[in-house]
Amino acid sequence: MPVRIWRKPLDIEKVKRSKAEIHIIKNQCKGCGFCIQFCPKNVLEESEEITERGVHPPRVVDESECVLCGFCTAVCPDFAIFVVEKQCTEGC
Amino acid sequence: MEEKRESEPKESEKIRIGVYVCHCGLNIAGYVDCEQVAKFAETLPHVFLAKDNRYTCSDQGQELIKNDIKEHKLNRVVVASCSPRLHEPTFRKACEEAGLNKYLFEMANIREQCSWVHLHDRKAATEKAKDLVKIAVAKAALLQPAEEIEMPIIRKALVIGGGVAGIQAALDLADTGYKVYLVEKEPSIGGRMAQIDKTFPTMDCSICILGPQMSDVGHHPNIELLTNSEVVDVKGYIGNFHAKVLKKPRYVTSDCTACDECIEVCPVIAPNEFDVGLAIRHAIYTPFAQAVPSTYIIDMDICLNKEGIIVCDKCIKACERQAIDFEMKPETIELEVGTVIVATGADVFDPSSLPNYGYGKYPNVITSLEFERLINAGGPSGGHLIRPSDMQIPKRVAFIQCVGSRSEKSGRLYCSNVCCMNTIKDSLLIEEHWPETEIYVFYVDIRAYGKGFEGLYNRARKERVLFIRGLPAQIVEDRKTHNLWLIGENTLQKELYKVNVDMVILSIGLEPRKDSEVIQRLLTLSRTQDGFFMEAHPKLRPVDAATGGIFFAGCAEAPKDIKDSVTQASAAAARAGILMAKGKVTVEAITPVFDAEKCKACGLCVKVCPYNAITLNEELKRIEIIEAACSGCGTCAAECPFGALTQNHFTDGQIFAQIDAVTERDAEKKIVAFCCNWCAYAGADFAGVNRMQYPPSVRIIRTMCSGRIAPKFIERAFARGAAIVLVAGCHPGDCHYIDANYHTQKRVERLWKKMEQDGLNKERLQLLWTSAAEGERFASKIREMQAIAEKVTPEEIENAKKVFEKALGGV
Repeated sequence: MPVRIWRKPLDIEKVKRSKAEIHIIKNQCKGCGFCIQFCPKNVLEESEEITERGVHPPRVVDESECVLCGFCTAVCPDFAIFVVEKQCTEGC
Repeated sequence: MEEKRESEPKESEKIRIGVYVCHCGLNIAGYVDCEQVAKFAETLPHVFLAKDNRYTCSDQGQELIKNDIKEHKLNRVVVASCSPRLHEPTFRKACEEAGLNKYLFEMANIREQCSWVHLHDRKAATEKAKDLVKIAVAKAALLQPAEEIEMPIIRKALVIGGGVAGIQAALDLADTGYKVYLVEKEPSIGGRMAQIDKTFPTMDCSICILGPQMSDVGHHPNIELLTNSEVVDVKGYIGNFHAKVLKKPRYVTSDCTACDECIEVCPVIAPNEFDVGLAIRHAIYTPFAQAVPSTYIIDMDICLNKEGIIVCDKCIKACERQAIDFEMKPETIELEVGTVIVATGADVFDPSSLPNYGYGKYPNVITSLEFERLINAGGPSGGHLIRPSDMQIPKRVAFIQCVGSRSEKSGRLYCSNVCCMNTIKDSLLIEEHWPETEIYVFYVDIRAYGKGFEGLYNRARKERVLFIRGLPAQIVEDRKTHNLWLIGENTLQKELYKVNVDMVILSIGLEPRKDSEVIQRLLTLSRTQDGFFMEAHPKLRPVDAATGGIFFAGCAEAPKDIKDSVTQASAAAARAGILMAKGKVTVEAITPVFDAEKCKACGLCVKVCPYNAITLNEELKRIEIIEAACSGCGTCAAECPFGALTQNHFTDGQIFAQIDAVTERDAEKKIVAFCCNWCAYAGADFAGVNRMQYPPSVRIIRTMCSGRIAPKFIERAFARGAAIVLVAGCHPGDCHYIDANYHTQKRVERLWKKMEQDGLNKERLQLLWTSAAEGERFASKIREMQAIAEKVTPEEIENAKKVFEKALGGV
């Protein structure tokens, strides 16, 4: 059905989207970059910071883009990244 | 029979031709002196009798022919009347009924290609008609009886498109007892009708009447439903089509119970196309609640799992039935069918190309399709007509008609047929739910032509819907309130208006599917100038395609409402059913004739045959023809350098006789045109139907395909002193015989080269690609050629005669 779609869907606000909280344990990271490479929403990027282990750990670009798929946790060889659902208090 | 012809004919074998010149009321007689034409015909060789009458195709006309055949022992019949594309079958049948083989009949087209295109020059038209009769008589004298071979028809049908038309056609055929394959591109059948809220003029709920039909299709034992699938290849011919369908993976198996658990966990969202983007869907989704099949589908373009890497397994975990399968691969399904119904539907016009209406810029300007989703209880707003800027119910609403219809500006000159009544229905729906709403309809003409339409229109007027004639020139938005000012002229009261409303609904027109070209190419169809598929005859064969065994249903053929789509679909199913019930089809006896003595087994014919119907037997050093596979284009006969091949009913001898008849008198003033039956000849007919006038100097010789036109025919025309020659065929890629016209091009180019080398003006040989719908293209080509012909000098004619004199040799 090739119709040009340009509007913001009317019910977009109604969709419950869980918000993510991404935790990176920088000291455990060895800078392999798997989490950055495999994130389907491109939420992570390499930071300029250098850790004690002499690597650039990942940095969150836009937390709101994260869909909590948990793949970063699954591919991280060093258990250095995990995501939890943000507990929704008022106004979140 | 061939051998007998060579020897001295016996009395019983003497050729006795009967010529019948039809007045066609005044259609011919108004512009051609038919009596004179008949008198002239009597003087032609082999003509035993010639008569003119008012309507030769009428019962009396046919009886006259039948009686004459019996009484005067006529063994050839020529009718000079309309196009053979119209009435050749009628007269052939009459001949057969009188015991004359139908291949002994010939027609002269003095209506579409003479009287209708030379309305203002009776003398020239009469002279041309005489010439056309002479050409037909010359061919008729050489006609040979032939027997047609019968081919079985596969009793299965392919329906392309699962909108209401495709659904109806599939159900009708399946109920008759035929196996049907219904192919739909989208994940669900239902088409446009499923998107609509209510239908006019009865105001019944669209999905409530369509839903049961859809579900019948899903359960019918004779229907195999292929959704999310596209036809990618079709080969074959009437009764024996071989189609390839690409079935794209859904990534959800039929174990899916549509329980919704997966949707709730899917983290990805996108606008739902079914709701015209007004509502969201997830990567795993069903386009709408009543979808058939109800199995969900995963949109791989937005799903997080790409290239086999399972990043997100939420849906897999949520699905208790384990119906999700990311390993699914596309499948190519091969189908053997006897008939094809094209029900591919229409697209809607995109109004953002008209900047004065501000669609795409002003949130409260919506299209009629968006309106349908908003007013629908199952739609994104739960049936509340809200305006997008603030989600409030509008108090003043304006409809604008003919957006993308009947205007040069939008490039769509045709009326889209459904928008007037759709708006009237929509205005009544608003009135019913929110009676206080002020409703304006800005229109050009209101077309309420169908059963019950006028009543609905009157009801809308009584309900205080205000109809204003004259479309707004401009819509201006109030930036604060997002209200809209409509500025234009009321052409009835001749005064300017400036109306302020909360929301504007653009009543958008229908347009041909963007991918019509693909179906056109796959099935070798023609399209009209508007871009919709062209029927074989606008009155008598309105659902048949020119290609045998293919039929149209719904908006693919032209914009139409639901009722007309359903009517046409049932008609198409009946037409396809007739073929399949017969179970066999006769193949025209226009296959090649092979002379083994002349054949040098060079294999050129094998190479050019588009159907691989000729094979080279290396051992016997001769070719073999598979008649059943031959479609009768005649390209092999044109290619053979040794004259070992010719085509039944279009023999070299017959075509030479036609050329000789054209060039017998005043050759230097004439345009000899060789036209293929499907595009060029049909295009010339179309010019006639539309009364497009062009110079009377042209004489058309019809072959089935331009690929039949051997260089020796063109050379013969020049050798006989013709001023100018036209070779005309289908557009490259549209050839009715796959690619036979590429050989036409090759041959013409070779001749151009030769003409150049021999110092001839190569402008005297013209090549035209045209379609059956491009009458004006044909007419203007003839005008252009007339100008060239007038400049050709007697010396040039003589030079060409010398260069090509070898072509004058016997057959």
